[in-house]
Amino acid sequence: MNDSKLTRAFDNDWIGPALVSLVAIAAISALQPSFLSSFNILVLLSAIAVNMLIALGQLVIIAVGQMNLALGSIGGLVAISFAAMMEIWHLPPLVAMGGGLAIGVIAGMASGFVIARTGISAFIITLAGLQIFKGINLGITEAQPFYGVPQSVKDFGNVALAGPIPWLVLPMVAAAVFMWVLFNRLRIGRYILAIGGNRNAAELSGINLDTTVIWAHALSGLLAAGAGMMLVARLQIGHPAIGEDWLISSFAAPVIGGAILSGGHVSVVGTFFGVVIIAIITQALVLFAIDPFVVQIVLGALILWAVGINRLREMRVARAKA
Amino acid sequence: MRHALRTLTLSAVSTLLLAGAAAADPETKVALVPGGPHPYFSAWEQAGKDAVKDFGLGAADYRVPQKWELSQQSQLLESLLSQGYNSFLIFPGDAVGTTPVVQEIVENGGQALALAGCLKDPTPALFCMGTDVANSAYLGTKELIKAMGGKGRIAHFTGFLVDPNTQLRIDAVQKAADETNGAVKVVQVIADIDAPQPAEEKINAYLAAHAADVDGIVTTAWVPAVTAANSLRKIGDKRIKMVGIDHDEVVLKAIKDGFVNGTMLQNPYGQGYVGSYVLDKLRSGCTIKDSAPWAKNALTAKFVDSGTVFVDAGQVDTYVDAMRGITKTLKESFDKDFLACK
Repeated sequence: MNDSKLTRAFDNDWIGPALVSLVAIAAISALQPSFLSSFNILVLLSAIAVNMLIALGQLVIIAVGQMNLALGSIGGLVAISFAAMMEIWHLPPLVAMGGGLAIGVIAGMASGFVIARTGISAFIITLAGLQIFKGINLGITEAQPFYGVPQSVKDFGNVALAGPIPWLVLPMVAAAVFMWVLFNRLRIGRYILAIGGNRNAAELSGINLDTTVIWAHALSGLLAAGAGMMLVARLQIGHPAIGEDWLISSFAAPVIGGAILSGGHVSVVGTFFGVVIIAIITQALVLFAIDPFVVQIVLGALILWAVGINRLREMRVARAKA
Repeated sequence: MRHALRTLTLSAVSTLLLAGAAAADPETKVALVPGGPHPYFSAWEQAGKDAVKDFGLGAADYRVPQKWELSQQSQLLESLLSQGYNSFLIFPGDAVGTTPVVQEIVENGGQALALAGCLKDPTPALFCMGTDVANSAYLGTKELIKAMGGKGRIAHFTGFLVDPNTQLRIDAVQKAADETNGAVKVVQVIADIDAPQPAEEKINAYLAAHAADVDGIVTTAWVPAVTAANSLRKIGDKRIKMVGIDHDEVVLKAIKDGFVNGTMLQNPYGQGYVGSYVLDKLRSGCTIKDSAPWAKNALTAKFVDSGTVFVDAGQVDTYVDAMRGITKTLKESFDKDFLACK
């Protein structure tokens, strides 16, 4: 590979996170060989699959230059609705899944509609949405889980498709491919990035801002719904606390992957490696028996380190181009 | 519908407990307020309803803050006070931070008990009633050690690190292990897993790497107990012994199927039921005896243990009897040892 090819390769947002992931995997498996055991790979891939959908749900909103604080509460509402539809109404899983996806899209669209039509900051609207969707969740569940999850759904979340690859990887791959196509091949994806990059320029070039923002939030709701239902399958219960801890990781993975928080620039592949890094760090802290009272410090420091590596790469690329 | 069975069982407990209830004050309005939404507290709702029915209270309503945030709980308590509630059963969102709002309740003519968790002394709360968490963790670990044949390696999965009870539980598990003179070792403590997703990821990751290295699991929080029971079922491992906590359906079924050896039942129903009863008695003119046999814990010198009991496969179908037994004993102990009524 000559210098220009090498430079071009290093231009990619995902190169830094990918290298960090590889180094981390090599280091951890050298110190803890069971890290690469078949069961552990299955556990790791299951976590990555769910967290990738969560990260993509935030990525599409970051791309449009906003943030979605209600992502977890939409995912949680869909999770308990999905489980409730199967337990109380005895709906077949596929029908309940359709209902769950519809709830996610409607919840996302509602947020997008209010943001677009009122001009109020997405931060405020999604913060309100967080409370509303969580309130509905608690109203339905009274903080009690739904246990009546059919065996086929439990199997989907816990059985391997082949070797150590779980079934949960399928929706992750489908969502990631779709999102890559969206941002790189579809007009609506370009519009989303254009609005995130320069809202005024996008408007002057004829892009319908309102429609695009509503689409972005609907898509975010759809992805949150998918993640919520995957967690029901994985956990084997519709737990009312699903989604409560999504917020930090939903931002961390896209940012590690090179996304710019002000919008206009995101990387689906980079986000994937961001998710991988967070999953590996989380596992490593368990495998190496880190004192529970310092886990958060170590986790934060390692995420900062991963972001720093990528920032360093970006600076070197910028210098090389100058 | 899914709550019907639980409601029926808990109502049966209260009916059997009701014996010789004295005249109550219909103006007593009790609010049962947990720190946030959690399945552990849901038994308080039925306990309040049963207390209204059995003791003739004006109200005993379960009110849940939407999030585990001290400010949300404090605002809810102030709102309930302004709505005319005069007796409060509160799980403190913070052992010190909840004190000002309890002080406000008392200054406005209300009364409060710390329930299921304590306020740090000095406190305006009348006393604290809850599980002796350290004792429960200690006894659970002793049961686990017994199931392990007196030797081996233990992993401990527990809840919120910000909960002061968590450190007490960690210490109690360690104490039980230390008493074996090195035969039992606590090799891992995984904490802050009171939400299902991190619990699932961390417990599965741990078992994936270390299942062969541990002989026993003790869990001292609800969500880790459910997750660990599911994980052991998933990997089909009955070699690893486990003692859980609380009465989630997943844990009880795992006990029946042999994946979990037993669980340490707490008594949330009894806390709500007897707590409402005691507050009404105190509003109706009873006082607390000077000779009341308070226990002590790390936070307060006025502590009442609401009881804990180990349930294994032999008793899992009749665990309601165990709950009924400890609630009955708790109410009787208040009548006999704590309350002076004219």
